[in-house]
Amino acid sequence: MNPFALPTREAAAPSAPHPEAAPLLEGRNVTKFFGGLAALNSVDFAVYPNEIMGLIGPNGSGKTTLFDCLTRVQHVSAGEIYFKGVDITDYKPYQVAHLGLARTFQVIRVYKKLTVWENMLLSRQWGGLSMRKKFHTPPAETEDRARGLVSFLLLDRVMDEQAGNLSGGQQRLLEIGMALMPDPDLILLDEATSGVNPTLIEEIKDRIRTLNSQYGKAFLLVEHNIHFISDLCSRVFVLNYGQKLAEGSPDEIMENEDVIEAYFGADGGDDDDW
Amino acid sequence: MDQLSQAAINGVMLGGFYAVMVLGFSIIWGVMGVINLAHGEFVMVGAYITWLLSKQLGWEPFATVIVVFPVMFAVGYALQHGLINRVIDRPYLISLLVTYGLSIIIANATKIIFTATPRTVDTAFSGFWRVGDVTVPITKTIVLIAALIIMSGLHLFLQYTRLGKSIRAAAQNREAARIVGIEIKYVYAITFAICIALTAVAGTLVAPTQPIYPFMGPPLTLKAFAITAMAGLGSIPGALMGGIVLGLVEVLIATFVPGVGTNLGIVSSFVILVVVLVTRPQGLFGGLKPAGAH
Amino acid sequence: MRTLTEIWKRYKLGPLVLILLVLFLFLLPLPRWLAPERKLVSNSLLFSLTQLFMLVTLASDWNMTGGFTGYIDFGHAVFFGIGAYGAGVMMAKAGWPFVPALIVGAVAAAIFAVLIGSATLRLKGPYFSIAMLGTFVAMREIVRVLRPITGGGSGLTLPPYLNRPLFYYVTLILAVLVVAFVWWLRRTQFGATLVAIREDEVGAEMRGINTTLHKITIFWIAAFFTGIVGALWAYQNTFIDPDVVFFESRTIELVMMTMLGGLGTVAGPVIGVTVIYWLRDILWSNFLQFHLLVEGVLLIVIVLFFPEGIMGLLNDPSATSLGRLWGRYLGEGPKDAYQSTETETSV
Repeated sequence: MNPFALPTREAAAPSAPHPEAAPLLEGRNVTKFFGGLAALNSVDFAVYPNEIMGLIGPNGSGKTTLFDCLTRVQHVSAGEIYFKGVDITDYKPYQVAHLGLARTFQVIRVYKKLTVWENMLLSRQWGGLSMRKKFHTPPAETEDRARGLVSFLLLDRVMDEQAGNLSGGQQRLLEIGMALMPDPDLILLDEATSGVNPTLIEEIKDRIRTLNSQYGKAFLLVEHNIHFISDLCSRVFVLNYGQKLAEGSPDEIMENEDVIEAYFGADGGDDDDW
Repeated sequence: MDQLSQAAINGVMLGGFYAVMVLGFSIIWGVMGVINLAHGEFVMVGAYITWLLSKQLGWEPFATVIVVFPVMFAVGYALQHGLINRVIDRPYLISLLVTYGLSIIIANATKIIFTATPRTVDTAFSGFWRVGDVTVPITKTIVLIAALIIMSGLHLFLQYTRLGKSIRAAAQNREAARIVGIEIKYVYAITFAICIALTAVAGTLVAPTQPIYPFMGPPLTLKAFAITAMAGLGSIPGALMGGIVLGLVEVLIATFVPGVGTNLGIVSSFVILVVVLVTRPQGLFGGLKPAGAH
Repeated sequence: MRTLTEIWKRYKLGPLVLILLVLFLFLLPLPRWLAPERKLVSNSLLFSLTQLFMLVTLASDWNMTGGFTGYIDFGHAVFFGIGAYGAGVMMAKAGWPFVPALIVGAVAAAIFAVLIGSATLRLKGPYFSIAMLGTFVAMREIVRVLRPITGGGSGLTLPPYLNRPLFYYVTLILAVLVVAFVWWLRRTQFGATLVAIREDEVGAEMRGINTTLHKITIFWIAAFFTGIVGALWAYQNTFIDPDVVFFESRTIELVMMTMLGGLGTVAGPVIGVTVIYWLRDILWSNFLQFHLLVEGVLLIVIVLFFPEGIMGLLNDPSATSLGRLWGRYLGEGPKDAYQSTETETSV
């Protein structure tokens, strides 16, 4: 009944975001400079609870930089970021993670010399921040969860294999599993489908929907696969040259002239992201 | 006051030597990403060649540059081909250990050949000249001037010659340099050879000013690391400033902290190193590459 | 080679061999201890083995930070020195007995590790290595300058205590303890986290791991054990001065030994230390004058041709250049390129 042993919460929550609800993640005036170059320029955005939001934009538009700022690997040059109403602008990355924000990476970052199983277990710090508990064995609940996720992601055959020996697609799946391990409230997926075969993409899509509608998880997706975005997201947010270009439903965005201009515009043609 | 200005002059003189000593280390690191832990040993070898020529053949020490440079250029070229080439693309631990092994070999071979006795080199320019109450040894003045000439020469070479430009290109982006047709192995070999030769010349310069012995290398390597981290990889003005800062700190501590002597020079360079690294990992002066990048 | 590896893995011979070895080492000096007239082992062999056990402990300590966490510490011997001097000063100047003095030395090393680690462990890659090398050299000069406490360059003499079998047993127990600790550590979340930090520190941080705290914790644990060895060494040697305690290449030796055995493996330091220790014995007796020279050559050869170490060779012969050479000799070519793409599409 519970395909990946998520702790059962109160039953199905409504999947549409409440316009009046407090945002789960909110960025105000987020700005990031690299030298003189503004990678992000006064970006305002909000992700609401139970929402799946898409983030698109041509290459170099600042999507990954935004993710890096949200997870606090990069310091913002100006602006504030709120998660669950808490100002996380000066948090450490691991503190943000403990608050319930998880992500995957555009360039795969699994621990290559550790087994798949270890990779999964490590992604849930069951002792919290206590150092003493780092010497304890994992509780049964954590192991169940890891086992459930591993079989959901079709990785059970390679569970004791070193993660570095997996194929690219498998490593991506492992990353998604690692992001789901700590039971986060919001998951940032950075191009989670690149290198994954089409059947599996459908599977992932399905699981994201399930996670969203049954378990109330919110998602923010960076994606170049436009069908993936339009099938899943209720809202899409477009970045271009570090600035917010448009925001709206997938259909609105696809007809927005600025967006079309940004992707296929005068200087473009070299961008085959769509 | 006089003591202070004397110390300041001495510090700047020492800094000039440090600057020219550090160049080779800094450029090898900047261009190839190899931290040469045998750096101080090459200074020592240069100093020993000078000592040998001046003792055996009666040459003027500063004139031995004309032998030291080409000989060590050849040594550097050969080393790059035989050894360093194998470690360039590998984890930094490999290159650190290989160059450390090299330093053990060089130092101990020197000890076996020349014994551990400290040697001094006599020069014809052994007088002093005075500015007010400050005495300045002529040898150290020559060292400072030579250091400045070498640095300007190197700067011009890197900025304006074709080979110099290739070296800078290789430091910035190896793949791109390869694509535009720069023969990267050749550039590396030449770079390494020039750097080793310069380092040995620094040894020639220092030989008349202090005793030389087989195990003088490691503190120099450490200081080179401190200056480079402070200055930015491959930055010539940075090397000069960093060298002078370190020279001044060292001399001022030795002059004004009683009962300490120059022993704490290495401690001060280390303290500078850690403070700079922790507060400003990209170095103070820019350079070929930010120090944080690897 | 391949069959050997398989047998080794399938029957888990490692632990068995290890237990037998430890048992043998425990029994070795026993007859002599019980009946002094029956000398099965000579004093010099006991002394030699004591040194070996100390090196095993030190290399295992180094391996905790260098091998597992990936922070290559080029000045690890600084903790050895602090342990030696901590114990030495308490015994020679304050007249303390050995055991409390040893505790002082080890705790001092651990505290120093926390202090210096919170500055240097922020540095990455070679910067950390060289900063620790600098710490090591600086500490030697500081010890030399602090003449009233440390005796400066002329050193300290400790009350002599010559009981070879006792030192033998103490160091053996310590070595077994530390190796067992590392073995257990690797199987805890803490140990796996250390490897995760080595593999991808930023990723680990973003997945909720407080990397700084982990690094400092393992750093002081390693420093604590190293401090104990330092104190034992000082007591056994009965004389310490800055140059023998802060011996230039002490750390690099540990790196070389650990690397020969296999970085980041439990057995690596044990194997590496044993091999190099006996090899060095041969060098010492045959080329006394050239032994350091030969050691330098050895270091380069190990690093260039053998970076995965003996454990790497046992676990996966094709991963090391020597193993590949051997494989080619046996006619086992590298795995077919098609195989890997096949598994990829089968996802």
